Amino acid sequence: MHSTPPNALDQLAKHGLYDPQHETDNCGFGMMVNVDDKPSHELVQRSIEALIRLEHRGAVAADGKSGDGCGLLLRMPEVFFRSIAKQENISLFEHFATGIMFIHPDKLKASQQLIESLLTDTPFEFSAWRTVPTDANAIGQYAHNSLPAIVQLFVNLPKAMPTAEAETRLYILRRQIEKALVDDPAFFIPSFSTQTICYKGLVTPEHIADFYLDLKNPEMASSICVFHQRFSTNTLPQWRLAQPFRYIAHNGEINTLRGNLNWAQAREKQFSSEFLNNIEEILPIVNAEGSDSQSLDNMVEALVRLADMPLYKAVRILIPPAWQNIKQMDSKLRAFYHYHAIHQESWDGPAGLVMTDGRYAVCTLDRNGLRPARWILTKENHLIVASEIGVYDCDPSNIAAKGRIGSGEMLAVDVKKGEILSSTDINDRLKTQQPYRKWLNEHLRSIKSRLTDYRFLESTIDPDKIDIYKKMFNITNEENEKVISVLAKQGKEAIGSMGDDCPLAILSHKIRPLYDYFRQYFAQVTNPPIDSLRESLVMSLETYFGQEENCYSESAIDARATMVSSPVLSCSKFDAVLNLEEDGFRHEYIDLNYPESMPWQTSLKKITDKAVRAIKSGKAILLLSDKNIRKGCLPVHALLATGAVHQHLLSIGLRAKANILLETATARDPHHFAALIAFGATAIFPYLAYACINHRFNMTNASSGKLYTLRKQYRTGINVGLFKVLSKMGISTIASYRASQLYEAIGLNPEVINLCFTGTTSRLKGIGFKTLQAEQSQLAKLAWRASQPIEQGGRLQYSFTGEYHAYNPDVVTALLRATKTGKQKDYDEYKAFVNQRPIAMLRDMFGLVSKPIALEQVEAVEKIYPRFDSAAMSLGALSPEAHEALAVAMNRLGARSNSGEGGENPLRYKTEANSKIKQVASGRFGVTAAYLVSAQIIQIKMAQGAKPGEGGQLPGHKVDEFIAGLRYSRPGIALISPPPHHDIYSIEDLAQLIYDLKQVNEHARIAVKLVSKPGVGTIAAGVAKAGADMITISGHDGGTGASPLTSTNNAGGPWELGLSEAHQVLMANGLRNRICLQADGGLKTGLDVVKAAILGADSFGFGTAPMIAEGCKYLRVCHLNNCATGVATQDETLRKNNFIGTPERVTNYFQFVAIEVRECLAQIGAKNINDVIGRVDLLEKLPAQSPKQSLIDLSAIIDGYAQFNGEIQHCTNNAPFDNASSVLMKQILNDVIPCVTDNKTAEFSYPLKNTDRSIAARLAGRIATLKGLAGIQQHPITLQFTGVAGQSFGVWNLAGMHLRLEGEANDYVGKGMNGGKITIYPSPEQDLPSNETPIMGNACLYGATGGEVFAAGKAGERFAVRNSGAIAVLEGVGDHCCEYMTDGTVLVLGETGRNFGAGMTGGLAYVLDMNREFVDRFNTESVLIDRLQAQNMEAYSNHLQSLIETYVEQTHSSWGQEILDDYYHYLSYFWLVRPIASRIDELIQNIKEPL
Amino acid sequence: MSDDKHFNFLNVPREVQKTQTGPKRIANFREVYKPLKEIEASQQASRCIDCGNPYCEWKCPVHNHIPAWIKLLQKGRLFEAAELSHQTNSLPEVCGRICPQDRLCEGACTMNNDFGAVTIGSIEKYITDTAFELGWMPDVSGIKKVNKRVAVIGSGPAGLGCADILVRNGVAVDVYDKSPEIGGLLTFGIPNFKLEKEVIEKRRKVFKHMGIKFKLNTEVGKDILLPELLEKYDAIFLGMGTYTAITGDLPGLDLKNVHTGLDYLVSVNRFQLHYQDSAIDTKNERVVVLGAGDTAMDCNRTALRQGAEKVTCIHRGAMNSLRGSNRDFMNAQDEGTHFMWRLQALELVGKHGKVTGVRVGELKNSEIIQGSEKVIPVDRVIVSFGFAPSPAPWFVENNIGITKNGLIQAQSSRRLRGQTANEQIFAGGDMVRGSDLVVTAVFDGRNAAESILKYLEVGD
Repeated sequence: MHSTPPNALDQLAKHGLYDPQHETDNCGFGMMVNVDDKPSHELVQRSIEALIRLEHRGAVAADGKSGDGCGLLLRMPEVFFRSIAKQENISLFEHFATGIMFIHPDKLKASQQLIESLLTDTPFEFSAWRTVPTDANAIGQYAHNSLPAIVQLFVNLPKAMPTAEAETRLYILRRQIEKALVDDPAFFIPSFSTQTICYKGLVTPEHIADFYLDLKNPEMASSICVFHQRFSTNTLPQWRLAQPFRYIAHNGEINTLRGNLNWAQAREKQFSSEFLNNIEEILPIVNAEGSDSQSLDNMVEALVRLADMPLYKAVRILIPPAWQNIKQMDSKLRAFYHYHAIHQESWDGPAGLVMTDGRYAVCTLDRNGLRPARWILTKENHLIVASEIGVYDCDPSNIAAKGRIGSGEMLAVDVKKGEILSSTDINDRLKTQQPYRKWLNEHLRSIKSRLTDYRFLESTIDPDKIDIYKKMFNITNEENEKVISVLAKQGKEAIGSMGDDCPLAILSHKIRPLYDYFRQYFAQVTNPPIDSLRESLVMSLETYFGQEENCYSESAIDARATMVSSPVLSCSKFDAVLNLEEDGFRHEYIDLNYPESMPWQTSLKKITDKAVRAIKSGKAILLLSDKNIRKGCLPVHALLATGAVHQHLLSIGLRAKANILLETATARDPHHFAALIAFGATAIFPYLAYACINHRFNMTNASSGKLYTLRKQYRTGINVGLFKVLSKMGISTIASYRASQLYEAIGLNPEVINLCFTGTTSRLKGIGFKTLQAEQSQLAKLAWRASQPIEQGGRLQYSFTGEYHAYNPDVVTALLRATKTGKQKDYDEYKAFVNQRPIAMLRDMFGLVSKPIALEQVEAVEKIYPRFDSAAMSLGALSPEAHEALAVAMNRLGARSNSGEGGENPLRYKTEANSKIKQVASGRFGVTAAYLVSAQIIQIKMAQGAKPGEGGQLPGHKVDEFIAGLRYSRPGIALISPPPHHDIYSIEDLAQLIYDLKQVNEHARIAVKLVSKPGVGTIAAGVAKAGADMITISGHDGGTGASPLTSTNNAGGPWELGLSEAHQVLMANGLRNRICLQADGGLKTGLDVVKAAILGADSFGFGTAPMIAEGCKYLRVCHLNNCATGVATQDETLRKNNFIGTPERVTNYFQFVAIEVRECLAQIGAKNINDVIGRVDLLEKLPAQSPKQSLIDLSAIIDGYAQFNGEIQHCTNNAPFDNASSVLMKQILNDVIPCVTDNKTAEFSYPLKNTDRSIAARLAGRIATLKGLAGIQQHPITLQFTGVAGQSFGVWNLAGMHLRLEGEANDYVGKGMNGGKITIYPSPEQDLPSNETPIMGNACLYGATGGEVFAAGKAGERFAVRNSGAIAVLEGVGDHCCEYMTDGTVLVLGETGRNFGAGMTGGLAYVLDMNREFVDRFNTESVLIDRLQAQNMEAYSNHLQSLIETYVEQTHSSWGQEILDDYYHYLSYFWLVRPIASRIDELIQNIKEPL
Repeated sequence: MSDDKHFNFLNVPREVQKTQTGPKRIANFREVYKPLKEIEASQQASRCIDCGNPYCEWKCPVHNHIPAWIKLLQKGRLFEAAELSHQTNSLPEVCGRICPQDRLCEGACTMNNDFGAVTIGSIEKYITDTAFELGWMPDVSGIKKVNKRVAVIGSGPAGLGCADILVRNGVAVDVYDKSPEIGGLLTFGIPNFKLEKEVIEKRRKVFKHMGIKFKLNTEVGKDILLPELLEKYDAIFLGMGTYTAITGDLPGLDLKNVHTGLDYLVSVNRFQLHYQDSAIDTKNERVVVLGAGDTAMDCNRTALRQGAEKVTCIHRGAMNSLRGSNRDFMNAQDEGTHFMWRLQALELVGKHGKVTGVRVGELKNSEIIQGSEKVIPVDRVIVSFGFAPSPAPWFVENNIGITKNGLIQAQSSRRLRGQTANEQIFAGGDMVRGSDLVVTAVFDGRNAAESILKYLEVGD
């Protein structure tokens, strides 16, 4: 295949951009328990079978055999081991423990001796080593290369030792062994216990029993088996990182890991054990080197072993459900969570967990329910929980109960007592353990704001000095007007358009705020962002002050804390905090102003020393303040001070003793606050922002009431912004975000990182304290000079004295001229403005070498055009004229245009105006089978450069009738796409979506759009393994859409970094040649293209430049609909009179670029683009143009390429990679397609199992190709299935396709369906009440635009999310039903979860609420509810009745029949749910009747 | 949809109001453009969409923060607008009146081609005029004296720009001018109907309030010698303009009733300001103005206002090749100027030493068409072909380098822009760059002031 050595990644870690800390994994998981604790071999066997059934959730390496890892964690098979002991002459006492150990083969003997010697000081008695029997033929080459020696240690226990003591002692011993063998990177102890044993490795599920021969032994019998299989993002995973760990198997990702590790370190010394002299012996408690899952396992273990908590309690504390905003939660239970939240931030992120300690077998989901878990209980009392239903074949008549674990719920089995514990049972145990409510009442105080509090409104700084402060802290008029004032006036952030075209802070010639050197992290592929807009109930900013005692021993005193609702303090709250006078709350004032001559390292040392002294004298709040500015002194930057204090306290073990409170002028926008908190701040008082508001609005004589409101709105705006920063990383609570360090530094020197931001990624190095201080000194000089006016700004819009803009007026006017005239000399002028600009982007630091060849030798422009794509810009953002002209131009060139996420007029599909790239984004606007089959490339937008971690926005005034029609939404109503794709919460979900898309359109290549950030290479590798054909790496400097300003300017990195990382990691994994890599972001000229190619791109995306070719003047008002050039507006006058774009102008542009590409290639002596990909030797570093630039170290970008010299570094695979053919699919096509072509009605039947995924999508695709969107309405086909359907049953379904399923289904039923009918009903043999039994999984009907679903049972979370036309009837739903629905009808004949109808703007729902709980469950901000009995509701009542009739006809549901039988009785329990803006008399007119 | 305020550029037409129609307004010398009323100002301001690439600011020679002060005006924050407007320009009310906006800010305005540019000039004028009316003055209360003294020679736009920046930085500034009033050409060159003299008077008061001292009627090199100034001051700024008329060596220039454009305008202005008892008077005369720059237009229009019988403006080029302000040309035409294009003046002919005609020939491709020559009868000729430098004799003796064209050599580097070979002396405006716009002179003066501050180490 190729010659990349297996250690290519290690090389990259040393010399390139790859960092193993970014490795992530997702997976399939489950557990099987015999509730009566009857061990059996069958249970082990069937667990392995289940694991095999989940194989599509794992991944296989390029060798085709090495899995990413799987494993089993079993309740100790005692009988088996006694039998083994007998055979092998091993002495086992009545109580024994055994452990499996991975040891480097070369170090085996020495390590064993060392372990034995460590045993001598313990009460345990060494018995024997056993070589675990394995068969190396069962693993692949990669796995083989790193195969450790796998040995088993047996020790005997003293007779009287209680289990808990034995386990804790074994834990301590294990920690000591681990510390002693820390030098062996292969060393790992999968389990060492009296209760459990773990078999795991880099093996695929179907081979695990071939590898571990023990598992095949019929005597191997257990009553609990936890199983897991991994889908890791790279292809060289490690043995020790296979799951399960010692207690848990984790499907998910801990987004807050760095913060959790920080806090674990801060608190670890509070642990103690009676079996241990000194806790230091086993520190660190949590291993930061492994994976996030492993760290979580360590933390769970510490709570269980050292804080003596039951397993389920430890996990509930670490991963609590949402409780802050759940009004109706039991008060004692809320007290339990509240009490623990004071000292334990949650380990936040998508999580499904299965675990066991040998007695309890537990499964739980995180608060967002972002992982599926379904369970069945058989009549033999076997409980099976897994990611999917159908992994355990079971006669329907043998099922005693079925269920689904909901968001934040837990299910446990105590095999000792033979009990199954529901969430409620567990909660009841937790809440009664201690008098938490009482403790909180006595010790927790909360600082509340009064209804109106006009105190403290005067500015806390002298109004005469405000200009000095503004200059000292670099506030420009622009920031004051366009950021701070907008927050105060609107209570939310300002929106901007057209991305960020300014240089990175380190490249800038201006003095930029320190915050500008930090880029926010965001969730992408392996974890989802949260929709903080519509799922706000999981979010909380609650913040606590106070010194921590030993929080691991529960006592009243640990409830002592002071709470504020947000870390953004008002004057009065700040005052209240400073007036806390009791022990544990007193504060120390620490001035951040130090003499100008003192180096900042020294100042920071003084600050940290002062903090330490303060803590030692009993102070608990460190007030760091930069307010006392004075001549001759400089304020040390609050972020540096925060970081330095936090890191120092952490390193000396005092961090938990104090809170860092900031009084700072530097915090103005949400990004500033978020950064301070992420690096350790507890709360912030932004005095200068308040002063600016006072100053700004006093001029118009604001009354105190108005001023109060403005300041309050400012805080609201910051809070909303904080929610967004958190949610884009998938984090729910500020406590978990605090100290999480979720930033990449760009342009900071290691000296700064090490002292203040330890562990933060900073790949380019850059400025140190000296420069930072010199810049502050410069600001101070101007600040004290009265004649110096406040700077105007120029960061957000061009200003002559402000920041450089890549699309400045020179560039734009020159490009407009060149594309209009089509004259080379005009393009040359444009080219000069761009290619000779001052260094503004990283690529500008490189030039091309000169070793010219003749131009004729270079490939023709026609060969180059197919590498050009226009970037995704939706119809809606662009006017139809602009969108279409772009498509025509690209098609004429043989390049491609991208539809963007707003759908496309079907009339364009088969014409010159068809967009060859069709985008699938989270809003799923107009994504139908017909849309998808019209594509050559289907692009899944995971993130966009202008606002990664957020969804696209289309303001209401741009949604006219036409746009609304394409998007299946309502005119005039703003469309904000959800931050996550609700069918992609993990990498295996992405693999499933890719599978769905390849099913519907087997000819399309699937592209995934990512945004540059550290770790994007690892994600790209995962995406490649998920079956994608193309990856786009977007940079922050692109972007055309509307976006909040702080998102545009502070999230996402430059594509140069992302592209080179992706290229290098894909090369190292042997995946590069199967995937096409695209660079996108601010590309303007042929030189840009060639540099991108050299850094690794096969293909190139252009957004802004072709828009300018169409007449756009870069006015950045796209979000206002008043684009004066008619490009980005739906206003008819402007479109008709002012749009000047033509396809010719666009083709002019691309012709010029291609010509220039040829010239550049000739200059560097290359005949074609493929030859330059990865050839960084063709670049030469240009001299820096500023002292700051000269500190940049580009070796991280450049050095990683060297090892691939001579290898093929471009995509060689032009055909789509097909992982999606299945036997059943072919069978269906063979049967049905003739009927379709002959216009015949027919019926076929097939059996199904859970591995049959995306059923009938291929058929839908074929029908869409043959018949278009109308499908086969006139001659319907019925497909009758029996069994358990895999994921995405009925995806992309079309009119005339009737799918009937007897049995049940998994996630994503009816996703993206546009027509037809899906009917699901349980097997007649199953005797469970349908309105209490799940029949399908999560996110069903996501993005549906039409059709009908009837399902006799309950669905999971987010049913009908983004439904824009389908009709559905079912008997129960989970949380967030009808989320962001814009049309269609949903009838729920039973219980619903929380947050029903969030963001719903169209359509309607009916809910049968027998328990009268619905009033607490719907989203009051979005929907209204009405009863149906009133006279004027008769039409609705009739509609409801006929829906139920149809439903019963389809499903024969007995519950449905029961309702019909007593309709007027049940009618009084129904609610009509409708969008808040709707009118009852109009709603009915829009209802579609089922066909 | 389009009734929201973001669409005002569509819904509100661009409007620039003149007092009267052309033929009527030549009855007097009052300013031609009507000041905006408050409501008009705010409506016109609302047409600005505050776009992300303010082409107006980009094209403006002093890079006024135009969208920002327009926005402030719109919000009724007039004084802040005035403050901001003064941050980049020392004479905004002057520039608002006489800048050729159609070639600069308004010409570049996003709205210009399709919707009519935002009326930036009138708004600029409105802001400062109105702020002054309401009692606003630049705030100089926080300025600390720095114990440095600078002499500014010439009180034209460059000198005033320079003095403005210096005084705001605590430097003591004396401005020397040979004339009895400040402003240079602003006062004595530009006619009242473009810039009323009260404007300069007001400006003088404002500058005096800010602490600038004016030493008028004092000609350097005559009334006071440069070495004395060099002794007395830490630095000197020269902003003396270019006054030598270009005449193209036309035969007959020495005839009576032949004037240079500037002489003519100065004469009229001085008369109107009562510095002299009479002026060159064209009443009832047939006047020919040669040249078609801004000064030529001023001459045309002045002559019309004086009651000339016929004013003919003769230009070598075609109508579409005018280099000056299109607005001034249109006004001149409106007011009754008779334009003759593609004509080359060959000779001034006279009788009894007095001019009686201009012999002209028609041009085609820069060649005189044979047989096209004719004589246009005149009573008076005004030659307005532009200006050349007028270096003072004392430049060389004080080590101030000049180019072969007579322009002062000054540094163009970023560090000390405007510094001459004599490091204590700085220069800017027309005498460095050659005859140009008022606004560019202001820009130079301000830049030179920044250099002087650096040179004097003020504020370091």
